[in-house]
Amino acid sequence: MKQILLITDGCSNVGVSPVVAAAHAQSEGVAVNVVGVLDEGDIGEYGAAEIREIAAAGGGLSRLVNTRELSRTVQMMTRKTVMHTIQSAVHNELRHVLGEGSIEALPPEKRSDVVRVMDELGEKAELRVALLIDASASMKPKLQAVEEAIKDLMLSLQARQGKSRICVFHFPGSRHGEDCRRLLDWTDKMSEIPSLFAKLHMQGTTPTGPALMQVIDFYREDDYGRETREERMG
Amino acid sequence: MAVADQLELQLQHGTIIAGKWKGGRYRIERLLGEGANGKVYLVESRGRRYALKVGADAVDLQSEINGLQALARQGTPREEPFLVEVDDFRDGRGHEYPFYVMRYVRGKPLADYIAKEGPEWVPLIGYHLLMRLAALHEAGWVFGDLKPDNVLVAEYGRAQLVDYGGVTAIGSGVRQFTEVFDRGYWSAGSRTADPQYDLFSFAVLFIQLVEGKRLDELTRTLLPHSRVPAELLRLAEDHPVLAPARGWLRRALQGEFGSAREAAASWQRELHRARVARPAGSGPRWLGGLFVASALLLATTIFWLVR
Ligand SMILES: Nc1ncnc2c1ncn2[C@@H]1O[C@H](COP(=O)(O)OP(=O)(O)OP(=O)(O)O)[C@@H](O)[C@H]1O
Repeated sequence: MKQILLITDGCSNVGVSPVVAAAHAQSEGVAVNVVGVLDEGDIGEYGAAEIREIAAAGGGLSRLVNTRELSRTVQMMTRKTVMHTIQSAVHNELRHVLGEGSIEALPPEKRSDVVRVMDELGEKAELRVALLIDASASMKPKLQAVEEAIKDLMLSLQARQGKSRICVFHFPGSRHGEDCRRLLDWTDKMSEIPSLFAKLHMQGTTPTGPALMQVIDFYREDDYGRETREERMG
Repeated sequence: MAVADQLELQLQHGTIIAGKWKGGRYRIERLLGEGANGKVYLVESRGRRYALKVGADAVDLQSEINGLQALARQGTPREEPFLVEVDDFRDGRGHEYPFYVMRYVRGKPLADYIAKEGPEWVPLIGYHLLMRLAALHEAGWVFGDLKPDNVLVAEYGRAQLVDYGGVTAIGSGVRQFTEVFDRGYWSAGSRTADPQYDLFSFAVLFIQLVEGKRLDELTRTLLPHSRVPAELLRLAEDHPVLAPARGWLRRALQGEFGSAREAAASWQRELHRARVARPAGSGPRWLGGLFVASALLLATTIFWLVR
């Protein structure tokens, strides 16, 4: 299972629309969750609408929260989206088998069996979460909370039985004109997370769409790399 | 919690809930409580009272039910079953909702009980609770979301767990938890379900009951990397109720108990020692109460044996 978790506090202002980018992600089997962090100040109607639409296009969830709720929200969204991904797959299966796509339509005993299998998949399936962090100037005071939320997510993922890894990107990148940069490659180790953002240079623009596209590319390469590795092995 | 989809449904007194699959009929008396996963009503059916939980999401509710069913299979046959029925119903607007019916637990939420009956009940309630957890663990499950709201206390401190949404098979990731009571939040270990996870939550719950305000302040002021069990233990220092239990708390917070049963035995011993260590009459009020509490414990045990 593949997810992107976008953490931002405002509107995109350069490049391709993030809603289009999220739709791309969804079409390639990557669910996009979005958290808008607003402490003091408001994210604005426009910003709130964008966050909602990115998640809708990306087949994920969106929430507006303050930094105190960030860890809890990130953890909960990731979990819910795992279950949701499984649920959609199960709905499709059910449609094939029964001509009926909903779990609600099953009698309680059957529902119990189906949900047991779903819970087990949710616990055991492999999971990758790419975190995409808005590092525009206004986010600076919130990055400590973002880092805590990432560690907290790692803790929850480590408790799963299935293999779970995260990677971290920030946008814009550190160099001039760079849309997005990878801070941390796929990892399942807590020890690799500390002080992620310590040396980060904050910039002005918010290229949310281009950054999303770059993360989708990264997923593509990762999958391609795996396939060729598997071919070589087999 | 803000993240969950809210259940909009509101059922009025007197409404009849008719089960779609099993045909059971339940008359709504009143709302008992609500939370992240749904609403719980007091209902009446064929002259008996039950608690009925309506879920917002069929899958979420079903996995809670699955936990309850697994527990029921391992339950003691002497006890009347906790889970009574599982079904769906349709409301006036044609919308379908999943629900389950369970035993109605007569009792007050833990914090209300202590506020009304006094803190001298804490040791006995704690013991009951530890024994409940022990039974759950011995069946292969961890409660997960242990917090005051999920503990109801009936007469004489008989504690019951409600809300099985966090119940997790030992070895899996804890399904649902509340930050302050979470071992991971206090950098004290993993979120993998094991008996020690519940014992950790129990220790925080105990501290919260007695020193709620100071605990609240602590969580508001501590930076994440300094959220450690030592800070929790500091609340117990020099505290009339918590200090005698300090050794116990330390072991629970550091995951040193092998099982809830062991923790319960040690709980009895340690709080007993605290009582005999002081001459009668000179101890604080709750210590006197502790003696009353153990006498009552014996009394309630006998009551249940001869019933
Ligand atoms: N069997 C019962 N008998 C009596 N009261 C009950 C029973 N089950 C639940 N309640 C009451 O209803 C409240 C809400 O129920 P419950 O905790 O199961 O809902 P929830 O949606 O899972 O809540 P949470 O957000 O805490 O997870 C409980 O705190 C309790 O006061």
